[in-house]
Amino acid sequence: MPMLTVHTSTDLFSSSRLGHRAPRSAKEELDSEDVVMSDADSAEPEQESDDDDDRIFSLDHTETGDGDARVTGVVKSRHIVTPGELVTAESMWMRGHGTYSVGLKSYSSVAGTITRVNKLLSVAPLRGRYDPKIGDHVIGRIIDVGTRSWHVDIGAKQAAVLMLGSVNLPGGVQRRKSESDELQMRAFLKEGDLLNAEVQAVFTDGAASLHTRSLNYGKLRNGYFFTIPSSLVVRSKYHTFELPGGVDLVLGVNGYIWLRKHTQQLGEQGVSITRLAEEAGWEIYSDENEYISPSIRENIARYANAVKALRYCEVGVNEARVIAAYEASKEYRSPGEMIENDVKKRIAKHVLLATKG
Amino acid sequence: MPRDLTPSTIENTFVLKALTERIRLDSRSFNQLRDLDISFSSTEYGVVDVKLGRTRVIARISAEITQPYTDRPYDGLFIISTEISPMAAPTFEAGRKSEDELVISRIIEKSIRRSGALDTESLCIISGEKCWAVRADVHFLDHDGGLMDAACIAVSAGLLHFRRPDITIEGVGSRREVIVHPITERVPVPLAVLHVPVCVTFSFFDVRKASSAISGRTRKDEAKDVDEDDVEEEEEEEEDDSSVAVLVDATLQEELLRHGYMSVTANTNREICQIQKGGDMPVDVGVLLSCSEAAIMVAEKVTKLINKRLKEDEARRNVGNLLVEARAENDR
Amino acid sequence: MASRMEIFSPEGLRIDGRRWNEVRHFRCAINTHPVSSDGSAIIEQGNTKVICNVIGPVEPTLRSRVVPDRVSISVKVVVAPFSTIDRRKRSQNDSRIQEMCSSIQHVFEDAVIAHLFPRSQIDVNLYVVAQDGGVLQACINATTLALIDAGVPMYDYVCACTAGMLDREVLLDLNRIEESDMPFLTMATIGSKRKVALLQLEMKVQFDRLEPMMAASMSGCHHIRDLMDNEVRKHGKSRLERGSL
Repeated sequence: MPMLTVHTSTDLFSSSRLGHRAPRSAKEELDSEDVVMSDADSAEPEQESDDDDDRIFSLDHTETGDGDARVTGVVKSRHIVTPGELVTAESMWMRGHGTYSVGLKSYSSVAGTITRVNKLLSVAPLRGRYDPKIGDHVIGRIIDVGTRSWHVDIGAKQAAVLMLGSVNLPGGVQRRKSESDELQMRAFLKEGDLLNAEVQAVFTDGAASLHTRSLNYGKLRNGYFFTIPSSLVVRSKYHTFELPGGVDLVLGVNGYIWLRKHTQQLGEQGVSITRLAEEAGWEIYSDENEYISPSIRENIARYANAVKALRYCEVGVNEARVIAAYEASKEYRSPGEMIENDVKKRIAKHVLLATKG
Repeated sequence: MPRDLTPSTIENTFVLKALTERIRLDSRSFNQLRDLDISFSSTEYGVVDVKLGRTRVIARISAEITQPYTDRPYDGLFIISTEISPMAAPTFEAGRKSEDELVISRIIEKSIRRSGALDTESLCIISGEKCWAVRADVHFLDHDGGLMDAACIAVSAGLLHFRRPDITIEGVGSRREVIVHPITERVPVPLAVLHVPVCVTFSFFDVRKASSAISGRTRKDEAKDVDEDDVEEEEEEEEDDSSVAVLVDATLQEELLRHGYMSVTANTNREICQIQKGGDMPVDVGVLLSCSEAAIMVAEKVTKLINKRLKEDEARRNVGNLLVEARAENDR
Repeated sequence: MASRMEIFSPEGLRIDGRRWNEVRHFRCAINTHPVSSDGSAIIEQGNTKVICNVIGPVEPTLRSRVVPDRVSISVKVVVAPFSTIDRRKRSQNDSRIQEMCSSIQHVFEDAVIAHLFPRSQIDVNLYVVAQDGGVLQACINATTLALIDAGVPMYDYVCACTAGMLDREVLLDLNRIEESDMPFLTMATIGSKRKVALLQLEMKVQFDRLEPMMAASMSGCHHIRDLMDNEVRKHGKSRLERGSL
């Protein structure tokens, strides 16, 4: 890059021109990455096709269904906006997350893309910590045992709360919580324990409240934990997957991931739904790992490295892609070979091709 | 440990409301200094007592002979010590440097030492061997805002007032000896003060923020057209100068409530020695420039007062005109 | 020490061949340390190089850092011993470094939309890897980029630049030799208007010279804002292309 000249001149010294601004330099060409991946079935509906700066924004692609499909206004197009950039100057829009407004004008406060739901305009940041939403399936780690509640790290801006009343205790759903339960909270979950849970509520300050009142949720064992950025997790209806090779994947929406040996869930053992709760004994809070065979361990490692390959190439993670990455990784005899960056790129490329159609 | 003296919410709104009507609680105008009183010790040289409103600072200048730093053999030493004890305010802890204290000491350091108010080369006695070490100890006795302004005035006045004992060098080569003449024997020598830096602190208040907080108007608007709490109604498109209230010489209460500040050190030569605008509230450049200009005017006023007080002090010491006689003998 | 002649030649060239109004080679990158932090950036301005890591907003690690209505920001600056010619280990308690930390902290406390994250903290860690003048400006610029990378909402870019005054000549974006030879100021602006967040002048200068210096550094700030904005857009675009959003 050549030395950059700031276009100032001597007449600038009159204070009236103090705020003179250097003209914006020409739009930079995109770096040609060695792996340029395009994406078909990610959560984003369509690709940005041009880099025109100030075109009229017509919002018909993010339409969620109900209501007016063609509200148009002078809004910057759906490409990247950066902090301080004008999002809209019209009062008809409601301003959502990622924006701030000065008078009638609203500006972006983060670097990201504009998204719209009906009349609500918001800017989704390119990256950021997990922002809990009600109903999210998350994985967390107990960081503190309080009175009648646990504090859980879910990778969000604040620790989440898991109330004693929001967990299943041994003995069934109908069981009343007694004082002795309060005293033996550490017997259920203690600092460092991992669990999966659902976000039950989000407080006004952004902290989440969790619950595990379902047998899908609860303490985790028999497996391996690692994280990816939460922005890479593709939200779907289910976040627990039974993968080929005897491995279960719990893909927390917060980017925390648990890979474990597949075990028979209580519900699959043919116990009637009504008796399910009674069947839930102390084993749901067990800390003991079962026997895990070497081949399953290897499969877990393979899946872990497959997901890490997707993370390395910043490809969104969902069930199909994990399986595709697992299949692609089979050409490498040992999962250990997958830590090479070249291999990761190759796998990610393969995954995107495989899951395109 | 007493935490910060955070003013109550109602105080906050009251002060800000008053400021929107251009009223300060002590009925000063925005660009008016508090009563400044400078007095010198009657017995000792270099002891100054500065009262700026209710803020009180004592500075004591002293000098001793030491060895200069090896990398600067021709320079004397000049040390300014500004430790704030809990005597000034309970928020300050003894022995632990708070952030405020750090800022104050850095600003005084920059204002006086780095701006070259004291000619350190004149403190050299024998190059590389002996030099004067001038030390300024600043004691903060009472804190009602404007500690650095008061401290800066105190040190500047102290340097002007201070007299070091006269010395003579006897012998040649390595057998040189320095003879210090007690003040009672010879007329002591003033320090070579090149200019008199005066620090002025401007406090910025965002008046619009204040008025919206008072009426609650913007907040209501915000709730009306916005259902996310993500929205901020703050800065206006083109900020005009009237939205910023600039106060000179804030009291402690104003200091705690202000949204931003800038301290400028200036002297009568129309020189700016130091500017420190912390990162708080963003302010238009023009405001900053006019503040710097105002600082020069304040510096002229304060310097005038210092000189007046110095003259009075000299007249008081010079009863019977003895000093002039003594000096006359020394004139060559 | 270099003489006046070398600092600014009669032909109007500086020691490194720049004109008075040219900033040094500016290179920046964001998301450089994706694993260890929520946001990261590297800035190179000439030979000055700073790495910034941002962690947060997260649950406060200390009880004392819980602020009920806004996020608390803490800034740590580590100056590598090998960043200058004399390999001196600077302690964290060095008053210059502490002052720098506190000014950066105050700048970003007002630039970040702080009330959105009550009772949480943001840690900003800055590593000065090489210094050749303008360390404070590089630190501020790096922090801006790293905060944007971390997805922390801000009102606008905070950009900083220095300007010096040699006799009657204004010089923009000084290197180390120039810095030691003339009075200079560091200015940080927020956005592309005339708003000044931070202004520091450490040496004596005539009042009349102040205005041209401020004008020059302000246009330097705006220019750097454009450069950083380009980088952020480029990065965002490449992510969009890869379908990772």
